[in-house]
Amino acid sequence: MHDQLSALLAKAAVEFPALTARPEFEAAKARYVGPHGELTALMKQMGALPKEQKPIVGKLINEAKGQLQAHIDAALSRIADAELAAQLGPAVDPTLPSPDLGPGTHHPLTLVREEMCRILRKVGFTIADGPEVETEYYCFDALNTPSDHPARDEKDTFYFPASARFGNVSKKIPDEKYLLRTHTSSVQIRTMLKGEPPIRIVSPGRVYRRDTTDATHSANFHQLECLYVDKNVTVRDLKALLDYIFASLLGKETKTRFRPHYFGYTEPSFEVDLTATHLPKVKKPWIEIGGCGMVDPTVFEAVGYDPEVWTGYAFGMGLERLAMLLYGIDDIRYFYQNDLRFLKQFA
Amino acid sequence: MKISLNWLRDYVALDASNDEISRAITFLGFEVEGVHSTGAPKLDNVVVGEILTRTKVPNLKKEISLCTVDVGPAAGGVRSIICGAPNCDPGHRVPVALPGAVLPGGFTITQAKKYGHESQGMLCGPDEIGLPAGDGLLVLSGQPALGTPINQVLPPGDTVFDIEITPNRPDCQSHLGIARELAAWFKLPLNYPQEKFRGDTSGSPARPDLLSGVRVDTSEDCPLYSAFVVTGVKVGPSPDWMQRRLSAVGLRPINNIVDVGNYVMLETGQPMHAFDAKKLGGAQIVVRRAAAGEKIKTLDGKERALTDRMLVIADAARPVVIAGIMGGENSGVSADTTDLVLECAIFNKHSIRRTSRELALSSDSSYRYERGVDPHAAHEAAWRALDLIVETAGGQIVGPVFRIGGDVPWQREVVVTHDYITEKLGFDIPAAEMRAAFESLELTVTREEPTTHPARGPAWTVSIPSWRDDLDRPIDLVEEVLRLHGTEKIPAAVVRAPGLVGDDDRVALFNRRVTDYLVGHDFHECVNYTLRPAKEVAAWAPPAAVETLALANPFTEDQSHLRPTLLGGLLESLKLNQSRGVAASRLCETGRVFLERGGQKVECVAVAFVIAEATGDRKWLKRDGADFYSAKHHLAAIASSAGVDFARQPLASTEGVPGWQAGHSAGAGNIEHGWCAQIGLLNLALLKSLGIEGRVQAGCFVIVPEKLSAESTRRRFAEFSLFPAALRDLALVVDQSTVAAEVQKALVKIARAAAGNAFAVESVAVFDVYRGAGLPEGKKSLAFSLVFRSAERTLTDEEVNAALHKVQAEIATTHGWPVRK
Repeated sequence: MHDQLSALLAKAAVEFPALTARPEFEAAKARYVGPHGELTALMKQMGALPKEQKPIVGKLINEAKGQLQAHIDAALSRIADAELAAQLGPAVDPTLPSPDLGPGTHHPLTLVREEMCRILRKVGFTIADGPEVETEYYCFDALNTPSDHPARDEKDTFYFPASARFGNVSKKIPDEKYLLRTHTSSVQIRTMLKGEPPIRIVSPGRVYRRDTTDATHSANFHQLECLYVDKNVTVRDLKALLDYIFASLLGKETKTRFRPHYFGYTEPSFEVDLTATHLPKVKKPWIEIGGCGMVDPTVFEAVGYDPEVWTGYAFGMGLERLAMLLYGIDDIRYFYQNDLRFLKQFA
Repeated sequence: MKISLNWLRDYVALDASNDEISRAITFLGFEVEGVHSTGAPKLDNVVVGEILTRTKVPNLKKEISLCTVDVGPAAGGVRSIICGAPNCDPGHRVPVALPGAVLPGGFTITQAKKYGHESQGMLCGPDEIGLPAGDGLLVLSGQPALGTPINQVLPPGDTVFDIEITPNRPDCQSHLGIARELAAWFKLPLNYPQEKFRGDTSGSPARPDLLSGVRVDTSEDCPLYSAFVVTGVKVGPSPDWMQRRLSAVGLRPINNIVDVGNYVMLETGQPMHAFDAKKLGGAQIVVRRAAAGEKIKTLDGKERALTDRMLVIADAARPVVIAGIMGGENSGVSADTTDLVLECAIFNKHSIRRTSRELALSSDSSYRYERGVDPHAAHEAAWRALDLIVETAGGQIVGPVFRIGGDVPWQREVVVTHDYITEKLGFDIPAAEMRAAFESLELTVTREEPTTHPARGPAWTVSIPSWRDDLDRPIDLVEEVLRLHGTEKIPAAVVRAPGLVGDDDRVALFNRRVTDYLVGHDFHECVNYTLRPAKEVAAWAPPAAVETLALANPFTEDQSHLRPTLLGGLLESLKLNQSRGVAASRLCETGRVFLERGGQKVECVAVAFVIAEATGDRKWLKRDGADFYSAKHHLAAIASSAGVDFARQPLASTEGVPGWQAGHSAGAGNIEHGWCAQIGLLNLALLKSLGIEGRVQAGCFVIVPEKLSAESTRRRFAEFSLFPAALRDLALVVDQSTVAAEVQKALVKIARAAAGNAFAVESVAVFDVYRGAGLPEGKKSLAFSLVFRSAERTLTDEEVNAALHKVQAEIATTHGWPVRK
């Protein structure tokens, strides 16, 4: 028995370490400890032994069994490790670039627009939207622009033929012409006509001018306007808003100043300058950024608000211009070419 | 408009620096576009001196002279000065900078040793004293007295401000207007020009041979027309001072008569016109509308065809001036003119603007008439011009003044209170300062009364002068007070921010959401022009629709039509990047597009994306490219942002839809019902014609904004089963042309029937599509995974298998789709 066990263990000590795959291992394991295994067979011989030998042989078998189990466990552990290692393949070169695309980028005009809207939202302005195809009433008449004002000229504003019909752009006057809006102020009119004061909106959007495209002009560009209608709104409130906007956007040290100006739809009207010393590529102490003023009583009358009761202010600026100042971009056409080398710089 | 500082000083004693004046103009509300100074600046310690002797300094490479120069006893007599100029010859009188002088550029003159000699000053060339450069020393002509300060000898310098005048302030299209503003700003008196000959026609008999009558046929277009006859003038150059002023502000001097007209216009803002009286046929002036077909050759040498909407000044037979805009060649003043008719008129601004626009002809005169001239200053201006004509060209004012029409009645008073102005401004300005602001602008306060509440300050009745047509209401006076107070002094404040009053517009929310989604999936957001060339639009819209997208007045051919899709722009961007060698694949855009609905166009909100095959993009590790189903995936996400469940939408073929590759793309929705979409491969021939390399998968989603405004309902939680699912696979053999959705839909229906109330059919999903060996010709196999589950218990194999058998049998009978074994 002792010799038999020794031979079995010697065989196992050679056989198990040589195993590399799980099926062979299972087969080998069965050959020793399976129902028909060699060790199993030896154990079955125990019954036939004389009583006094049983404890001695039993001890021998148990020892052999323990040794055999160690071979089996070692082989299993080795095979399991090999199996995991096989899932891995060769080690990665962490310095290779990812072949995946991306990341995607927001357009700089979107970034600037969203930043302005975020700043304005904090002080209660919500986004209003309106059609880009407009009518003469909403774009001009309601904004106190006389019918022979040069801005309405066919040489400055894009019009549609009299036969044009836009199903979802409402007309106020039956025979007025459709045009492409020259400013987002038309949204102010539509918003005031639709709702009741108090009103506090920001209307970012695309506008159109019949202009030669060059480094600073574009047939379409984007504006952002704020309108605030409430009781007792003052010039000082307007100045406070502009100070707040540009301090939020450019840092607390940024100052704004008003210069008196003329717009048909505000009285008094101002152009807004801001300190530009920390802006890239600007060599002047002040730079013009937009126009603003107190809503002209005529505009309130046009939308049916009592100018004795309601007061308000409006502010408007060009988004391209702002983006150009913020990022130091010197040609407006970059915004419309979508060269990826441009788009990837701002996200 | 260009404004000369010397000229302004005729009316207001400005001693502020150019910078201070620029700043004043700016904060009065006019943009200063440029400031140009001419002539020598003010120079101290630079005087006239005469070179007495010149000795060459020996042993130098350069020609350097030691001169003795006499600057007169007051300036120290004879000095010795080193000079390098070639023309420092004895006898020349030249500018001499004495020690202590500071020359332009901050160069200070000191007494110093040069080339071994003490030099007691410097002899100056023109550039050294701020004049245009010339060769050598500036030799002064006319023997000016020794020791005279140089500024007294040189022609006076001037500063010209180029100012943009806002359209509400036609009164400032003149030197007097700007002077009035500056006088108010600097708190200085304003001096009007003195009139000399006003009404001085008494002794002279009329000359009906020169002008017998004036008739105004259309007083609406011409409320006031005055004509003055001047005889015996001598046409010649205008005096130097006038020429200098006109040149300074950019006008070319012509002759004394024309120059006076221009001068008075630039002084007062009132345009004038002078006729050669002998050229007025019939000695008549008729102010009338042109007859259709009448022509006139204007002073610029062009023949102009007139219409019956245009106002002309005519003689007995023919038009001689396009009223208020430009004179004709046939009646103007020339060198041999001796007798004049001077016209001074008020024309209706709308009439002038219309004619100017129709003829595409404008002039300094029409520019002012269009904006409106002071209706009450015409006669002052006319007499001012007559003064200057007599002064510069001689002659005599003869006969009566022909005056048709009258002053446009003018009387305007605005009542405003201190309290009202304070309320609008939001900060305090003392009442006395407000009143002073009015008065300084000649807005006379005719009455000051206390208001009902004494603490609220007075109420003023303000008389508005005729040149301030822009002041009509109390709010207009608020601006005047603020302008003169200074907009830089508006005090800081905390921004007023009482709670939110609304929600962001849904269009903005939608655009933000889909852009964030696409950017998060590695797309680059683009911005393209809305206006597109006809050729591009024709590639995307049916021929009939192209015409309806056209502008009436495009500016350029490549921006003539509204876009019917965003894809044209995105392909242009793709092409641009490809042609610049920049790898670009995923681009997206949001924006408005314009589609047909019910025979009209509708403005729609749109989002589109393209995924181009990265042909030139070489990567060390290849990734699977995008296909139709990538586009479908992204579109479903976009549609969901608009509240559209894309998975439930029937898909249609894109056969005949421009821009798309039929069989490899699909459409959904219908703009008649509010939205539509397309996805898949863009037309290969189109891409080829655009020069785009590789195939492009794309998607676009278009929705009318009204459709977006529907409130979305809050989602409700749905219970789900915690028992295990039972999975079964089923492959069916169907025609090649049968679409998966049809089979899936049928399977769901039949499976539900088979499961009955016993358990649920959780999902039926395709997991394999097979074409090829083992299948009959024209057939394919679609393999579905069916998931069954009960909410109450674990399902047994028997019941699930029974259900599956029923499904197999039923699908074969109802649809003839055999199970693939």
